[in-house]
Amino acid sequence: MTEPAAPGPGPRPRAVHQFVPALIPRDATGSHTLLLREALRAAGWRSEIFAEATHDELLDESIPVEDYDQHAAPGDVLVYQFSTSSVVAEVLAARSEPLILDYHNVTGPEHYEGWEPATARRAAAAQQQLRLLAPRAVLGLADSAFNERDLVAAGCRRTAVVPVLVDLDRLADPDPRVARRLAARKAEGGSDWLFVGRLVPSKAQHQLVKALWAHHRLYGPTARLHLVGSAPSGRYLAALRSFVVDLGLEAAVRITGEVSDAALAAYYAAADVYVSLSVHEGFGVPLLEAMRSGVPVVALATGGLPSTAGTAALLLADDEPSRVAAAVERVLTDQSLREHLVAAGRERISALSLEESGRIAVAAVASVVGP
Amino acid sequence: MTTGSEDDAAYLERVLAEIDDEVRQRRAAGDLPVRLERELDELFLEYSPVAGRGGGLAEQLRMVDAAAFIDPVVPVESTKSGGAAVKKTLRSLSMWYVGYVTGQVSQFASAVSKTLHLLDEQVRALSAQLDSQHVVPAEIVELPAVHAPDAWWVKEVVTAFGTVEGRVLHAAAGSGWLVGALVDGGVDAYGVEPRPGLVGEAEFGSLDLREEGILAHLRAVEPAALGGVVLSGVVDGMSHGEREQLLDLVVEALPPGGVLAVHSLSGAAWEAPDAPPEADLSTGHPLRPATWVHLLGRMGGTARVAEGPTGLDYLVVATLGDSVPPPR
Repeated sequence: MTEPAAPGPGPRPRAVHQFVPALIPRDATGSHTLLLREALRAAGWRSEIFAEATHDELLDESIPVEDYDQHAAPGDVLVYQFSTSSVVAEVLAARSEPLILDYHNVTGPEHYEGWEPATARRAAAAQQQLRLLAPRAVLGLADSAFNERDLVAAGCRRTAVVPVLVDLDRLADPDPRVARRLAARKAEGGSDWLFVGRLVPSKAQHQLVKALWAHHRLYGPTARLHLVGSAPSGRYLAALRSFVVDLGLEAAVRITGEVSDAALAAYYAAADVYVSLSVHEGFGVPLLEAMRSGVPVVALATGGLPSTAGTAALLLADDEPSRVAAAVERVLTDQSLREHLVAAGRERISALSLEESGRIAVAAVASVVGP
Repeated sequence: MTTGSEDDAAYLERVLAEIDDEVRQRRAAGDLPVRLERELDELFLEYSPVAGRGGGLAEQLRMVDAAAFIDPVVPVESTKSGGAAVKKTLRSLSMWYVGYVTGQVSQFASAVSKTLHLLDEQVRALSAQLDSQHVVPAEIVELPAVHAPDAWWVKEVVTAFGTVEGRVLHAAAGSGWLVGALVDGGVDAYGVEPRPGLVGEAEFGSLDLREEGILAHLRAVEPAALGGVVLSGVVDGMSHGEREQLLDLVVEALPPGGVLAVHSLSGAAWEAPDAPPEADLSTGHPLRPATWVHLLGRMGGTARVAEGPTGLDYLVVATLGDSVPPPR
């Protein structure tokens, strides 16, 4: 962790420090936090990341949140990356520095009830912490207009929409070993469907399995579904596996677990279509990753996804398996629709490029800190 | 493909409409009857912990919505030679009748489904309102200087409970520092501590200390089963409602002649620059000693007050009268 020296003999630049519950690699909030730090430093401010917990891979990138007192200086502005419940919220609630709340949405407890009671409790606590912090934030930043509504409802007086900062170039080099394996399967025929996200009930991977089953019945049993992402809910994972077996889809559905950026790039490169039936999304980073990889997107129009996708995805009003199957088949077989979605996707990611999103974020922070 | 005058959104809408048409035609041809999609939902729900316990409302509504559509197109697949043709003929002949009946049933089911959705919306709106009015329960507030075995009021408490018959409860007991002093003074005392981990760290292995909520514990105590109750660090930040609820339970747990001791920080301690964070975060604030005398008098008790030497805290000891008013 190195901090650039202040240029010349002038006064020490002001600091815009970020606080985050957990700094995790290959996680949307973690990546956003790291990229925002670079953007803040490039704008001339001092900036460090203070975390309650940090993944081993990123230990050099953060400072324990309890050490902030040693770094605190008059004029500091604090940015809280809010995505879950954490003691960080209580620490910040008790401080007097100007606070910017960068809100990444919280999946509501109702999505975990019955499946993961502890996670449901944490989600409820997060909603409570949002109501605690929102009224005292001088500015609330939201990934999407959908998330912005949450901030306003929680009592945030001033808000702005700032897209998530995503480094899509990290998907430039697909893992050749994974790519070879996927190519070998593709050579047998059939299409490859891809979904990227944690295996949790709200991401609705079970609906994707239903849609795949319907597709097999309607258009032939050749399509494959790749579900990429960590599996924090053991119950949901077990239910999903049993469901796949009951439907006789063991050979067609692959649950990969968490993968490296290079392996993820290989999955995107091999995918014929990206399908999301998630019922709760604040922004939807994987949609941009699919667009960057030239993969057409079919998605359930939910939460912040319509504003992220714009007209660069085929957005469905419901997740009925036969309708999803028909939509995917249309994208797979209608070359002009496919080309349209891929081209619109490329336009969309240029509008949400790292540089552009970073510029918007810095401008929003400057409105609090001053130039 | 987009036509010259068609924008992107209109093009995608047209594609979606064509997909809807295809789905309708496929269903009509019996390629994927609605019944099968419904069975898929039910199959997954067998693995869902939600379904087995009466289900979340959202999941149940989803099932109702799926069931609200009655498919009039009877599947005609058959394993027997010519069976499919016969079934198809029968379906054609009876289509007008089946369609008429299923149309009415679907209408009824849709009306029920809409009603349930309205109900769901109202329940959600009510829940949101309740959430916004949610009051965080008061936390235990302790200062190292006044919640310790050598604090001025410990001797007073040991003396006050020395002649009490029956068990004496201390809440919040922490690691058992006051329970230890009471036991050393010959009092049959035990403690209840809601904060996790503190009881496990107790140095006094032989003490009866229990990790559970104070209100939950008092609700489980039989009426008049205790001889006395000591409350410390508990009432300081309580809201009025919480305090009333606690006192009702204490009165019910004590017999006539039972003793209640309340130790609280003072308003001055709450206002001090180094006051605990609960001073800002709590819903309530410490009462004046005279208010406790009034409250305990209302319960039929006679109370006396002892104030600490630094003005940071005080102790109120009350003996309940022979006719204790019933809890409200």
